[in-house]
Amino acid sequence: MEADIITIGVVALYFLGMLAIGAWASKKIKNTEDYLVAGRQLGFWVFVLLMIGTVASGMSLLGVSGLGFKAGWPTIWEQIFVPLSIGFCIIFFGVKLHNVARTAGYITVQDYLAHRYESPTALRSLAAVAGIIVSLIYLVGQYSAIAIVLMWLFGIPLWLALVIATVITTVYTAIGGLYAVAWASLIQSIILIGGVLIMAPIIIFYAGGFAHVNDVMAGINPNLVMPWMPSGAFGIPYVVSFAVLLMVGLACAPHVINNVLAIKDVKYFKWAPIVAFITYAIVMFLLKFTGFAGAVMVKEGTFVLPKVANAGDFVILYGIQSSLPILALWAVFAVIVLAAVMSTTDRLMLTIGGMCSWDLYKKVLRPDAPDKTVLLLSKIVVVLSAIGTMILAINPPEMLAILIWMGIGVMLSTFAVPLLAGLYWRGATREGALAAMALGLVSSLTFGMLNYIKLAAFGVDFGKIPLHFSAYSFILAILAMIIVSLLTKKTADKVLDETQTGWYISKQ
Amino acid sequence: MFGLPDITIIAVGFVLVVVIAALLYWGISFRGHD
Repeated sequence: MEADIITIGVVALYFLGMLAIGAWASKKIKNTEDYLVAGRQLGFWVFVLLMIGTVASGMSLLGVSGLGFKAGWPTIWEQIFVPLSIGFCIIFFGVKLHNVARTAGYITVQDYLAHRYESPTALRSLAAVAGIIVSLIYLVGQYSAIAIVLMWLFGIPLWLALVIATVITTVYTAIGGLYAVAWASLIQSIILIGGVLIMAPIIIFYAGGFAHVNDVMAGINPNLVMPWMPSGAFGIPYVVSFAVLLMVGLACAPHVINNVLAIKDVKYFKWAPIVAFITYAIVMFLLKFTGFAGAVMVKEGTFVLPKVANAGDFVILYGIQSSLPILALWAVFAVIVLAAVMSTTDRLMLTIGGMCSWDLYKKVLRPDAPDKTVLLLSKIVVVLSAIGTMILAINPPEMLAILIWMGIGVMLSTFAVPLLAGLYWRGATREGALAAMALGLVSSLTFGMLNYIKLAAFGVDFGKIPLHFSAYSFILAILAMIIVSLLTKKTADKVLDETQTGWYISKQ
Repeated sequence: MFGLPDITIIAVGFVLVVVIAALLYWGISFRGHD
């Protein structure tokens, strides 16, 4: 399709709004703490919508409906466990990390790992490098999603779509830090929630209504309306591993978990989990139903998807085009998708900036570096990470969801075990954490690639494994943590007390 | 109901109810302090 002046105007207005937020936020930045944790001043709704905006990504709109289009109801579990990841993050990581961070002055989660495991250099560096790798994988998926939308809306080439998206997101993130990201997320999340609440029912109604959509899907394949597939991908074992992957993997993702360090008052953690869950679950369910409606519309010949490898990712775009034949509304929808994608992209770039400038440069390479230099380096890394990922995103993967899940799988395998064991098990040691993190990272990257290219290795056909690939690397990381910790020297009790380590969430 | 088999409604409904109940319990019981 070719955009008209109204479409261009609506999208340009949105972009200008984001840049204005960046300009406003840049005035509040006095030091690195302001830049990376917004001076620890985020209020309840800014925090809740920042969490939703960070978790709501390119997959939320394009990937979720694309997966629903492809595999039906057995994929419905992501509608529960992705929103639940916010509650998991707040309850099992957030409360304790926030309380300790207040006294210890953490800027990043790596600060906590370095303190808890008495490893100011080795574990901090490994965690930062691993965080940068997984964030970059995840970022490529996000930029691919932005490019799909801009290509569809404006009929422009991929490279140009990527350049536009990169420049806008990078400018407001680089100048405004977490203040800009949080306030942009507030606006972006409101656009996303409001937009989906209005548009998804229209698409579902246009496809014949909820019951008709389910009837037609059952006619295509009865398994498409079952809660799980009889075996293989989305069979019961796979669904269980998928639920753990989404809930725990997203919760410990560096760009999500670092948000808990930025709130003003720990009391916000009381109702934030259920408010975030219900709000985001409604959006996610509606998006999945839109994917189902798309499958019915394709079956009934309402529209034909483009003959590209990732055709499923286009289903919601073609669905909106068919059911809302008003050009200006497509532009509004494009803004909704852009809002969802950019709210994750900006947080990822900022996280990478923090890990490079604070964890690697300030805390490992140049402890005497002035704050001004650290702040400048953060901004430079935000720009460099955007340019690097944009180049990687020029060849987008077959299915957006696959790349993003691979990123979440690597996050789960790398960070979940050192964080959970660090917070709750006093026996977890530095060597155990290093072993768990290194093995989790390497094995999940290996298993993920073997699964993606459906290769047989180590006597296993990775194209037909019953669980999600990350479940195996997660189990390896748990074993590494337990075995190595039992064989090595325990952490000092003083440090364990300072970091509130033990089998409790909060000392009440 | 809704063109779906009972097992789908029961499975998804059950998990949703458990999750919401757990998060409500957290909200009611969490006191929180710095």
